[in-house]
Amino acid sequence: MSNTLESVVHKVDVREQPQVVGAFPGQPSMWFFIIGDLLIFGAYFIAYMAYRSQEPDVFLQSQQAMNQGVGAINTIVLLTSSLFVALGTEAVRAQKIRDSLRLFGLAMVFGALFPVLKIFEWLPKIEAGHTPGENLYLMFYYVMTGLHLFHVLLGLVILGFVMRNIKTAANPDVRFVETGAIYWHMVDLLWLVLFALFYLMR
Amino acid sequence: MSDSVSVDAPGIKAPGIKASSGVRQGEPWYKNKKLDQYLCFWSVPIFYTLFGLVFVPLSWMMPPRSPDSSMAEIVAFMQSENLLFACVILILSVGLAAVGNAVYMTQMRRMTVSPAFRFAFMAGSITGPVVGCLFPMFCFGLGAFRPDYDPEILAMLYDFGYLSFIGCLGCFCLMWSMLGLSILLDKNNILPKWLGYYTVWQFVTELFAATVWIAKTGPFAWDGLLAFWFNMVLYVPWQIIVYFYIYKAIQNQPEHELPNVLPVKAQPMLQGNAL
Repeated sequence: MSNTLESVVHKVDVREQPQVVGAFPGQPSMWFFIIGDLLIFGAYFIAYMAYRSQEPDVFLQSQQAMNQGVGAINTIVLLTSSLFVALGTEAVRAQKIRDSLRLFGLAMVFGALFPVLKIFEWLPKIEAGHTPGENLYLMFYYVMTGLHLFHVLLGLVILGFVMRNIKTAANPDVRFVETGAIYWHMVDLLWLVLFALFYLMR
Repeated sequence: MSDSVSVDAPGIKAPGIKASSGVRQGEPWYKNKKLDQYLCFWSVPIFYTLFGLVFVPLSWMMPPRSPDSSMAEIVAFMQSENLLFACVILILSVGLAAVGNAVYMTQMRRMTVSPAFRFAFMAGSITGPVVGCLFPMFCFGLGAFRPDYDPEILAMLYDFGYLSFIGCLGCFCLMWSMLGLSILLDKNNILPKWLGYYTVWQFVTELFAATVWIAKTGPFAWDGLLAFWFNMVLYVPWQIIVYFYIYKAIQNQPEHELPNVLPVKAQPMLQGNAL
């Protein structure tokens, strides 16, 4: 009884999914989260800029000790991962299940590289004595990149759930896949701003 | 909406009483099946009003004083008589927090999540106030309790008090993360999904308070823009909104889901078995 009910509900769900081009992708609650998250990060970025303008020399000096190479590689890693997520979502929309699984798998591999690279970036810094207590730049750096890293790890969990849905559901939930995808793009977007503010800005 | 009461016919309801408020037609208010939840709910505004009055105008514990204060300022603050008075009021009333938290747990029980979430929530709601409320009160109360304490000792108690007050926000992180995850995983939609996401921000920003253990001045110190004020801007509206939706959830709760009416519901079944 409840099984047939579930399958009916599922069919209704599938019909309501925005298969049409131009429809609003993902769940509305995720958009609430993304817009709010961008506002919160935005407030932190403004605070960072304000404090940076108070002691520009300290900030610039510490910033120049940043490993821009690792930062750039991380940017490429995340952008590539995001590309695979976008292609994977397209594949799900086109009902190409095997392709979408392969693409999301690649996205997760690239996404998982990010925390590994972060460890290789943080550990030498901490070993060299550049801890959050050294100055305000480093405090901002560890707090903000740490917060972003938390988002990456959460994103990997979400991508895992997306892949499970594609693999196990008879009809993959396109709206859920899109929800995961837009979250992952937000993580990407935040990193681009972080990279610009903490590594590149002069 | 009004699924909890079946005996009501439109037009004969008492004015001002909603069908879903748990009151049966013709029954006095104290027989309301949701009275327990409403009492817990209304303990919260009482508790927070008391909290606000004691923290701000009575003792000026809040907004937090600077970790950089001079010894004279610290001693004057720690020995003020109002501070002892404030600590006593809070130590006596902190139990109200437990009553208020019961209302979350009652609604979390209706969510389609493992009971582990509620147990972890409860553990967090116990450890949080012990470290974040009782510890600082014991520290701050001591200065006025025995005015001839060495200023060095008072300075240590001042640090201890504020660090446990603001640096313990991580304890509450467990509690609110359990609530947030329950809201997001729940398939009964007891609380709205966006509120679950708001709860995620709430508990993640609380983790930021860890910086108060490192920074003694600036935005990451315990009185700083990012470690304290920013969290407050997120927290205060969240607390009000979450209670508003908890209230709506109590109102919308069907009566057959209330654990305290279960024995009555179980009776016909028992009789049926006996027959």
